[in-house]
Amino acid sequence: MSDVARTTEIAAVDSPSSVKPRRKARSSKPMIERYRWYEILGLYAGIALFLFFVLAPFIEGFLVSLKPLSQLFSTPYSFIPRNGSFDAYFTMWSTVEGLGRYIFNSLFISAVVTLAVIVIVVPAAYAFARFSFAGAGAMLGGFLAVNMFSGAVLLIPLYRLLRSFGLLNSYWAMIVPGIAFLIPSSIWLLRTYMLRIPRELDEAAWVDGASRLYTLRRIILPLAMPGIVVVAIMTFIGAYAQQFIFALTFNSRQEFMPLPVGLFAFFGRQEVLWNELMAASFAGILPVMVVIVFLQRYLVAGLTAGAIKQ
Amino acid sequence: MSQLSLKRLEKSFNEARIIKGIDLDVSEGEFVVFVGPSGCGKSTLLRMIAGLEEVSEGEIEIGGKVVNDLPPVQRGIAMVFQSYALYPHMTVYENIAFPLRVEKLGQAEVDKRVGAAAKVLQLESRLQHRPGQLSGGQRQRVAIGRAIVRQPKIFLFDEPLSNLDAALRSEMRIELMELHKRLGSTMIYVTHDQIEAMTMADKIVVLNAGEIAQVGSPLELYHKPDNLFVAGFIGSPKMNFINGKVRSADGATVTVDLGALGTLALPRASTAVAGQDVTIGIRPEHMRLDGGEFSLEITPTIVEHLGIHTIAYAILPGGENFIGLFEGNPTIEDAKPLRIGFSIADAHLFDAKGLAV
Repeated sequence: MSDVARTTEIAAVDSPSSVKPRRKARSSKPMIERYRWYEILGLYAGIALFLFFVLAPFIEGFLVSLKPLSQLFSTPYSFIPRNGSFDAYFTMWSTVEGLGRYIFNSLFISAVVTLAVIVIVVPAAYAFARFSFAGAGAMLGGFLAVNMFSGAVLLIPLYRLLRSFGLLNSYWAMIVPGIAFLIPSSIWLLRTYMLRIPRELDEAAWVDGASRLYTLRRIILPLAMPGIVVVAIMTFIGAYAQQFIFALTFNSRQEFMPLPVGLFAFFGRQEVLWNELMAASFAGILPVMVVIVFLQRYLVAGLTAGAIKQ
Repeated sequence: MSQLSLKRLEKSFNEARIIKGIDLDVSEGEFVVFVGPSGCGKSTLLRMIAGLEEVSEGEIEIGGKVVNDLPPVQRGIAMVFQSYALYPHMTVYENIAFPLRVEKLGQAEVDKRVGAAAKVLQLESRLQHRPGQLSGGQRQRVAIGRAIVRQPKIFLFDEPLSNLDAALRSEMRIELMELHKRLGSTMIYVTHDQIEAMTMADKIVVLNAGEIAQVGSPLELYHKPDNLFVAGFIGSPKMNFINGKVRSADGATVTVDLGALGTLALPRASTAVAGQDVTIGIRPEHMRLDGGEFSLEITPTIVEHLGIHTIAYAILPGGENFIGLFEGNPTIEDAKPLRIGFSIADAHLFDAKGLAV
């Protein structure tokens, strides 16, 4: 095509007469992401329903923490607090002297469990992702099977075990079983993530003379970091949630109690201080929530990321 | 003296024999290309030389020393992977410097060597970028840079251009050849693309099902293929094969009956082919429109006009596909019978076992 012809064609396209007056495009989204208004309404209604179902206990818990104690037992019961206040969040510290200690214990136990799990799981996951050795499949299957037992089923054997190791009534009584129950799923999670790192990266490093450990440290660890963060978050949450049952059974020393057990202190002889109890629960969850809000970027990225782009 | 030699090399995965006894000598400074269809074992062979796959039988010698049980780094080789295998979290500089960091060289020496490699590969302005910010060709060069800095005796390339688009591929081909000239090191290059093999190699090793089909220079393979496999694999478009039966073989001439196409007399001394079912091979580019010593009529079903060439596709009376390639732009049309010919000297004869006669 000659230049002249091309210019005239472009001019023709640009001229207003050739452009049909069309309705303004409603959105710049690709076709597959466009929905009608009632579809969007349905989607949000569905989400709202599920969210309410999941969050209702928290909402009620929070509302309770705002009410004065007398209002909790009034009839008719009112969900919305009248003259609600945050008083409970201040008085609870003096009602239960050890509250700060309990919250610290909870975080401390979870943190130690998380640290230990990461230290153990990273090399284990690398081994399961990269080496083929006898029994690898059976062991992975075994890990899954372990996950099918809840800690509660194994309480009595665990008790005997901890007693013979002399670990009862110490932080270890809550940390050791916590680690044991969280390692299997973490290995699965991180192994899957590491499998997505191309094997050629290991081979290239091997050809260049790097040892396996050097490769793990310089290549695999940095690339698996989002996966490791996910494992750390999941472990932390898991450790936080499961410590209740271990603390209740394996520890009777008040100063080592984590928050969920410590909350029993709000059960007085006369009455239960429900509002302060709820306030204390929220105060205990708060640090974890903050951490998750900051790390959720990794959580989402780590759980959904595809193969490592080169 | 040969720098690399493979002796009765074999590789089996469980029961499956992937490499079935390979003998090969590579001299210093040679550019050797392993070529073959997918699954022929060429990558496995390269990985055995690299030290990434174990040797089941036989020996690999590099510089006169058996290296079967040495790790890659002690073999004096460097490898460029198909996916480049760059480390996405490191800068180009650190990627290239990786082997030197493993060796724990001093920073001054690392700077010097990485700088030299970057200069050769025109990556100087890219050293602080990450692989993700580079184009395909640049990534390729970084991967080569990582191989260069170790100053290996032998470079191994595993299909390094297969991830690039066609235009870039021919560009990189030339860059690689220039690099080979400049460094003068031995290079072993694996590809499934016979054009890459033909254009780059000093020596081509054609592999088929774990065995060497033929070793030779590109033109040797083109003009004197040892067997049907090499004849069909080297050259594009593919060589035409016409089935026939030997009428007579008197020690000077072999006369082949081509059925409806007539008979063809070829000057061959062999008498062993008498009475055999044989195959005549003739390259599409050896077909001529102006006569020739043997002529046949084809009716093109499809004609491709490429400007520089015109390619006609037809089916012979015996059912074989036939391709003719002609210079320039002659008037050839679909469905119009066409008389074409070739010189007897251009024809290849293969016996019943597929070996050249």
